[in-house]
Amino acid sequence: MLGFLINPNKFNKLTDIILKPLFYLTAVIFLIGLILIYYSPNDYQQGSTVRIMYIHVPSAWLALLTYSIMTIYSIFALAFRIPFGFIINSAVAPIGAVFTLVCLVSGSLWGKPMWGTWWVWDARLTSVAILFIVYLIIIFINYSFEKIEVKEKIIAIFVVIGSINLPIIKFSVDWWNTLHQPASISKLSSPSIDPSMLKPLIAMTLAFTFIGLIIAILRIKTEIILRKKSI
Amino acid sequence: MQLINKIIIFFVKEFKISIKNLSDLFTNIVFFFLSIFIFIFSIGPDKQVLSTFGIGILWALLLLSSTLSLKKYYHDDFNNGSLIIMHMGGLSYEFIAILKIISHFIFVQLPFLITIPIASLFVNLPYSKIILLLISFFIGSLVLSCLGSIAASMNLLNKRNFTLSSLIVMVFSIPVIIFSVGLAQSQENILSLLNILFAILLIFISISPWTSAVCIRLALANS
Repeated sequence: MLGFLINPNKFNKLTDIILKPLFYLTAVIFLIGLILIYYSPNDYQQGSTVRIMYIHVPSAWLALLTYSIMTIYSIFALAFRIPFGFIINSAVAPIGAVFTLVCLVSGSLWGKPMWGTWWVWDARLTSVAILFIVYLIIIFINYSFEKIEVKEKIIAIFVVIGSINLPIIKFSVDWWNTLHQPASISKLSSPSIDPSMLKPLIAMTLAFTFIGLIIAILRIKTEIILRKKSI
Repeated sequence: MQLINKIIIFFVKEFKISIKNLSDLFTNIVFFFLSIFIFIFSIGPDKQVLSTFGIGILWALLLLSSTLSLKKYYHDDFNNGSLIIMHMGGLSYEFIAILKIISHFIFVQLPFLITIPIASLFVNLPYSKIILLLISFFIGSLVLSCLGSIAASMNLLNKRNFTLSSLIVMVFSIPVIIFSVGLAQSQENILSLLNILFAILLIFISISPWTSAVCIRLALANS
């Protein structure tokens, strides 16, 4: 049932079926999200710049999600010797890096009109910047070893050690008194955001997740083909 | 008894090698001093400015100059086969990593500890700050040795860009830098910051031997 999560052949078979419908679904959700953003209300303090949130929050969520998936796969790959985890690591890292960069850039474009500066050395911003550098180091490791068996294991070990950063990013707004606003959507009680803004946000988050998923599937397929060729 | 003999032999060997390569150590120390001078030339010799930024400058430059010696960490032992010989002599790779961390701490980091009081004269630090800086560096350099062990063993087979290992050390050393500079600059809550530093030290001491052993085994199997 869940064999496609660890078996390259089953993954290939499933994604051959899934890829095209997923593509159309993503396009539809993305369009709906954009329309909802167009009709969403302005914030009473921030005005129209609040619409940056609909790009900023999904990309931040995806940056963390990608790293968590990589961590889980590396632990499983190292512990149970599942080579598919290594494939995922080297395929998915650039996607995470790009989404982290999008998150950083959109955040700093949002910060300039709201906070008055492009960059603040605040706990959340700093930890996300470190996450970006960790992604970059993963990509560098990917290109600096000759043997593929060494490279993949070292990436997995590095990913596991670097996952110390994840809880720091998630809880930095709660632990330290920061300029970045605290979590308003993933609060356990009830989200402190208006439904008229929550709907486009959810649509955009879904759309971004599916976009990331499509790119990931394509990259994983390429990686599988490359490895088959090299063997 | 036999184990203690092996440990003593290991440290004697490390001591002889470090005496032989004394010029490397002095090069690192001169790099440290020269970078302090260049820092002072670039921000200007104002005494007030220097005493506020001094601790941060010293810590950052200590970190940078300790990453210079990463290439010496496992590479020589790996290339001339001493790692395999030590393993055949009955030491596990984890234990070799622990011994290496301690020897790196003694023979590479401790000489910097001696130079810190001299270096802090240049940046006009008060006496009480120097003691705090020494305490923070004593703990922080042990963490840096652990990180160096992880980074150097990861890059044993890396022939293209070895600078990667310094990047790995610098990324993971960010909490150490934050809390040790905080400790050196704090007035009241010294004990709590010291506890946090010890916690970071314990985390890295528990992680690094296993990680280094895994990476060394990987490198030996694929070399």
